[in-house]
Amino acid sequence: MSINYVVKRVFWCILIVFGIIVFSYLILIFSPGDPAVKWAGNPRGPYASMAIEKAREELGLNDPLYLQIARFVYNVFNGNIGDSIAYKQPVLPLIYSRLQSTLELLVIAYVIAVPLGIFLGIYSALRRGSRSDSLIQAVGTILANMPTFWVATGLFLVFSMSGISLYGRINTRLALSTGFHPITGFYLLDSLIQGNLLVFIDVLLRLLPPALAVAVYPLGVLIRLTRTLMAEALLEDFVRVPVAWGVRRDIIIWRYALKASIPGVIQISGLSFAYSLIDAMVVEYTVFGREGLGNLLYDALNYSDFRLAIGLITVVAVFYLVVNTLTDIIQALVDPRVRL
Amino acid sequence: MNSIEANIRGAAYLVRKQFRKMRFKTGLAIVLVITILALLSPIIAPFPEEGLGYIPENAVAKARLPPNPVNIFGTDTRGRDLFSRVLFGAGSALVEILIVVLTSLSIGIIIGVSAAYFKGVVEHVLNYLIELFVSVPAIIIALALRLAIGPGLYVVILGLITTWWSWYARITYIYARSIVEMDYVVLARLSGLNSLKIIYRHVLRNTIPPVLVQAVTDMGSVLLEATSINFIGLGVPLNSPEWGVIMLEGLPVITIAPWITMFPGIFLLITALGFSLIGDSLREELDPRMRRRWRLWF
Repeated sequence: MSINYVVKRVFWCILIVFGIIVFSYLILIFSPGDPAVKWAGNPRGPYASMAIEKAREELGLNDPLYLQIARFVYNVFNGNIGDSIAYKQPVLPLIYSRLQSTLELLVIAYVIAVPLGIFLGIYSALRRGSRSDSLIQAVGTILANMPTFWVATGLFLVFSMSGISLYGRINTRLALSTGFHPITGFYLLDSLIQGNLLVFIDVLLRLLPPALAVAVYPLGVLIRLTRTLMAEALLEDFVRVPVAWGVRRDIIIWRYALKASIPGVIQISGLSFAYSLIDAMVVEYTVFGREGLGNLLYDALNYSDFRLAIGLITVVAVFYLVVNTLTDIIQALVDPRVRL
Repeated sequence: MNSIEANIRGAAYLVRKQFRKMRFKTGLAIVLVITILALLSPIIAPFPEEGLGYIPENAVAKARLPPNPVNIFGTDTRGRDLFSRVLFGAGSALVEILIVVLTSLSIGIIIGVSAAYFKGVVEHVLNYLIELFVSVPAIIIALALRLAIGPGLYVVILGLITTWWSWYARITYIYARSIVEMDYVVLARLSGLNSLKIIYRHVLRNTIPPVLVQAVTDMGSVLLEATSINFIGLGVPLNSPEWGVIMLEGLPVITIAPWITMFPGIFLLITALGFSLIGDSLREELDPRMRRRWRLWF
């Protein structure tokens, strides 16, 4: 791996973000109806015509198309999409402030899913053909096909039936009475920094059910993937030779066989991490009432807020590209066979 | 003619061989049952009008009845028979799956093969497009489409197609790239056969099988993603017979009437599982990494 590769990759990512912004602008312009009306959020009332006129000026709809696109892309790259209609604040800072909540959820979900998935996968690869193997694989297949939002509704039901209210990110009354205030925006981290154990437990408890729901898909995928990769690696020569040498069984498994399957696991984890962002967005607000990107999605829909939608498209795409690039780089560091 | 016959015989052999596998049989049975239910839903459903979304006259009296002999799955908040709604939901689920997968498959195969065959600028441009659409999730595209053109099934379908074709294009490209380098394609090129014929006869035939298997496996995920788009309310309007929408309507009353969200979810899970069981057992046959001995599949 070289710096050259990283630079090339970053340049490529910027090019793709550029394309995505152009694409979303084309949706706005070429869909039926007046783009200025849509950009102004379908305004009604006495000041509607003024709002539409302002939107028309903002987009520069009287200019030729290439100029409009150039201006739009320039503005978005400068972090200037305009003020959100639903929130009356600049779009990008708003999205960043909510991204932390969703990221926190995702990270906890993967902290649950990845070790458990790898462990179950290894366990079932070692007992290939046995009853526990086929049971674990069946569970993995079912988990990988579970609708995340359905699992979320189930978990929500179970917890609310048992009398625990898990709506929202934090118990506001508790937070106020203990003097909790956000620093980084990741509440788990914040409460630890402030040494506020009560809030930490509260936040963690509210985080667990949505995280479990989001963890279901990667868990199922990783169980099956690790099993396939391990079963394959266990038959390779680099495992047979140490067996012949008489190396201890656990060393063979953990040091020789697992090492060969780790790159594949990293690749799929990275890929599904980027995609689980969507699962998290679907689940977190509609079911658990947490303020995150899902909340923004919902409000963009209800206020027909096109600026927020374009901000979301850009930020989610950047997130995906960053995660994928990092995955590739980590994979190249771990796996000597991959040359970038 | 001969090779087509051989292909058909090969495919028939593959399917026959699959029938010995429990997983394949289960998957096929599930998909067949769901298809039959979807086709016959106007006949099977006890309350067809309610299944399509009409609100019955005694709605208040019938609202949120738990499962009982008349309404097997119970009724929803507006007194409609949940069983009928879920049955009609199977139809829209299959429509979504088929339209999305078939359209994106054809776009993806065409673009992937062209990217591999015509090198140079075309390859770069097409690869750029593939990468671009791989990186935007369908839900967000659906949001933009919804704001631009309003609610409807086409929001779900267009949003999903916009992103799914790029996956098929990418897979096709990867397979086709190695095939284009093979001697028989080079020879065909040297002998002056025109590009379309080479693509159709030599490149396409060998790329389509693995991509097709991928498409079967993906049908479940397409369904899950389509339903989750409907679940946040981006796609079809409320009261439509669609599993995601039924669950969305059941969400506010989940503690009082959990069956409204439960039954569509079970159907969703089983359908997705069926497609992925079929796809998995087909892929096991194709993927050299899953079996020890590698055999050409036709």
